[in-house]
Amino acid sequence: MKLRRRTRADGAGQRHDPCVAELIRALGADRVRADNAARHLASADASMFIDGAAGPVCFPDSTEHVQAIMGVAARHDRAVLPRGAGTGLSGGAAPLGDPIVVSTTRMNRVLEVDVEDRVAWVQPGVVNLDLTKQVASSGLHFAPDPSSQQVCTIGGNVANNSGGPHCLAYGVTSAHVLAVEVVLSSGEAVVLGGLEAEPSGYDLRGAFVGSEGMFGVTTKIAVRLTPDPESVKTLLLAFDAVSDAAATVGAVIASGSVPAAIEMMDKRCVAAVEDFAHAGYPRDAAAVLLIEVDGPRRGVEAETDKVAEIGRAHGGTVRVAADEQERALLWKGRKSAFGAVARVAPDYYLHDTVVPRSKLVEVLEAVYEIVDRYDLTAVNVFHAGDGNLHPLMAYDSREPGVNERVAAAGREILEVSLAVGGVLSGEHGIGVEKRDFMEYQFTSADLEQQALLRRSFDPHCRLNPGKVLPSAHSCADIASLSAFKADGVWG
Amino acid sequence: MSESLGLLGLEQAERDSCVACGLCLPHCPTYRVTGADTHSPRGRIALMQVVDEGIAPLTEEIVEAFDSCIQCRACETACPGDVPFGHLMESTKEVVESTRGRAPWWLKLGLRALTRPTLLRIGSSCLAVAQRLRLVPSRRLGLPDRLPLRRRALRATGDDVWLFTGCVMDAWQRDIHLATQEVVEATGTTVRPTGDAAPCCGALHTHAGLGDGARKLAARVMSALDGDNAVLVNSAGCGAALKDYGRLLGSDEARAFSARVFDIHEWLADHIDEMDANPLEPAIAVRVAIQDPCHLRHVQGSHMAVREVLEPFVSEIVELDDEGMCCGAGGAFSLVNPQLALDVRDRKTEAISRSRADVVVSANPGCSMHLAAAGVTVRHPMELIAEALRAR
Repeated sequence: MKLRRRTRADGAGQRHDPCVAELIRALGADRVRADNAARHLASADASMFIDGAAGPVCFPDSTEHVQAIMGVAARHDRAVLPRGAGTGLSGGAAPLGDPIVVSTTRMNRVLEVDVEDRVAWVQPGVVNLDLTKQVASSGLHFAPDPSSQQVCTIGGNVANNSGGPHCLAYGVTSAHVLAVEVVLSSGEAVVLGGLEAEPSGYDLRGAFVGSEGMFGVTTKIAVRLTPDPESVKTLLLAFDAVSDAAATVGAVIASGSVPAAIEMMDKRCVAAVEDFAHAGYPRDAAAVLLIEVDGPRRGVEAETDKVAEIGRAHGGTVRVAADEQERALLWKGRKSAFGAVARVAPDYYLHDTVVPRSKLVEVLEAVYEIVDRYDLTAVNVFHAGDGNLHPLMAYDSREPGVNERVAAAGREILEVSLAVGGVLSGEHGIGVEKRDFMEYQFTSADLEQQALLRRSFDPHCRLNPGKVLPSAHSCADIASLSAFKADGVWG
Repeated sequence: MSESLGLLGLEQAERDSCVACGLCLPHCPTYRVTGADTHSPRGRIALMQVVDEGIAPLTEEIVEAFDSCIQCRACETACPGDVPFGHLMESTKEVVESTRGRAPWWLKLGLRALTRPTLLRIGSSCLAVAQRLRLVPSRRLGLPDRLPLRRRALRATGDDVWLFTGCVMDAWQRDIHLATQEVVEATGTTVRPTGDAAPCCGALHTHAGLGDGARKLAARVMSALDGDNAVLVNSAGCGAALKDYGRLLGSDEARAFSARVFDIHEWLADHIDEMDANPLEPAIAVRVAIQDPCHLRHVQGSHMAVREVLEPFVSEIVELDDEGMCCGAGGAFSLVNPQLALDVRDRKTEAISRSRADVVVSANPGCSMHLAAAGVTVRHPMELIAEALRAR
């Protein structure tokens, strides 16, 4: 794993890549970009991880196009990397092994909406929030709501089994995907799962969701649509101590309530967010909780009162959003948090671990201690309800030695999380970020079984090679696939 | 600060303020229609970074990535980190233009004509005649269907405020200026149209990377509009440019000038109480969709004032459901990048038909002509208000 670092080079010219001509023949010239500008931009996602450079970038708009790309890749023994909006945070879409990049951005049509059965067939490049907007008039929505929902694609959500604030009550992406059409590395298109309530046979759909682009390229997805709740209330609770906020989270869940979302932001995050959203977040609080309850009107009112009471009992002040506008503004702030960190420093490393709720306070204190010790800036914003931490380290990559410090601090945060019984990743995926930490959590036998599963989908390890599984367990090493130039686009 | 300038003349702190989160992508019209990272704000900034730092040469594809930007600046509204994209792109375009000479000859010629009002009016009357003789494919060129053969004269009624009349708008849409003057005078304010003394704001020059031309025009406008009176502007693009003179010229004088520039709606919202109009009178019975010009919504942030001033005069206002996405006009963009402009416009016309509006209002001449060329009925908000006032 390398961290993103800009290096100077003499600016090499365009290279000749023999598979490009075939790709153009198969897809048409306007669906293939082999120039350095396009390859450079396809060489990174929204994370700080970069370790290679993209090969040609293709823009298919049908299953047949994706099959054709897979054929070209097989003939030239090249790796293939699916890419959505490039907003991933674990380097899952950062290329290794000079892959042909399959951008799904033009596969952006909602193919069919069945309001009665609450199912929609969509292409993988449909933007998460666009689907919700399109079905809003039917009183439905797509429940998984990552913070990047206004830009991330549903194909990317499937690849990472994405979560989001409201997954506390509604479940992550896997709970909302009924079937996927997938192009395998053999070029064959198969449908995994089905619309019937209990599809027969093994749940290959379940295996596929969250496979980070290593099992196949998703070309169609049947998603479950969720009815909008009758009523929604959003509470903003402010606390003088992070530990009071964390204790409130535990107490709310222990009371038997399952709010739709429980989000926490610390003081530094609130400041950055408030500068952008002007949502009226209290800048003087040490931590705030954004709690949303939804459901039938009466239940929501009772639950709002209960949550507010618990918050006050823990020393918090409570504000309930008066109307939809105020509510939207609060969420706008929360969902812009990562980008708003640009106000703190030009680079960030957004971590993603999960710890038991009972250990939140302990782990948060450890996170602040670790980040301080490495002389970095910690910003905390996370899904408190399910213990999904997102410690964020803001830094300036031009500072000498800072990348090493960020990496070391990241590793320590992971160790602390695992030591209290947590897991490696909540929702961002393993990608390259956590790949070399997989052995912390899984035994060699576990990893071998995961590699076997992967090989049963993709025997040549052609799809997104070098991700998730540590090198000892990934099948064909990516070095065995053809690559023209292992370094960056411009050397 | 000069030591922090790279090959594109960008300030390092501004250039590197993008954390590449990608929240701008869905708001970028060219990313929306192409799906290409090279056509996105995040991608363009990443390319500026590698060129500015000398990592990458300025390849044809990189220049194309910059040229394909409409400079609508919707990405700035979306950006939680306040990255000054418009400024970065303007600086970049200026360096690219001076080293590569990207602007086509006919565009430069056209821009020069904008600064010569008499020539512009004669040329446009000739064009109007040619149109009537069916010698010009108006729609294909994005021209209004019938350019005016002659224009009613604008006359000053006093010196309370300036009304900035500009270049193309004055030649082709003089009626909007007359309507604007009528509305402003209804508040008991006298108006002096700027006319030929301040012929062009220079916005199109800035967008094309012709910085020197833009700065010259800015100086000319400022010296023509001496004094302390408010300068009212009914073209969103011109208003944004005039308000940016402070940054463009970097002088206290320019900053003071920019401070007295107001978008007409912004000004009217503050003066509407002075209008002698009976609110009980019936409004015009039309369902109006508001198309927010990007330089009103994303640059000036004055788009809410349009709703505020229009609301008492029309029976119904509807919002388009595309969250202020660009229409693809972009000043001269639609001439230089016709296909991209049409693809972007298709999204806008779809949003307009979903709104089932009788009429669309747009407070920018470029947008209104671009949309009219697609067969959409477009009026300026001031025309509707003037009409409503006349009916009372």
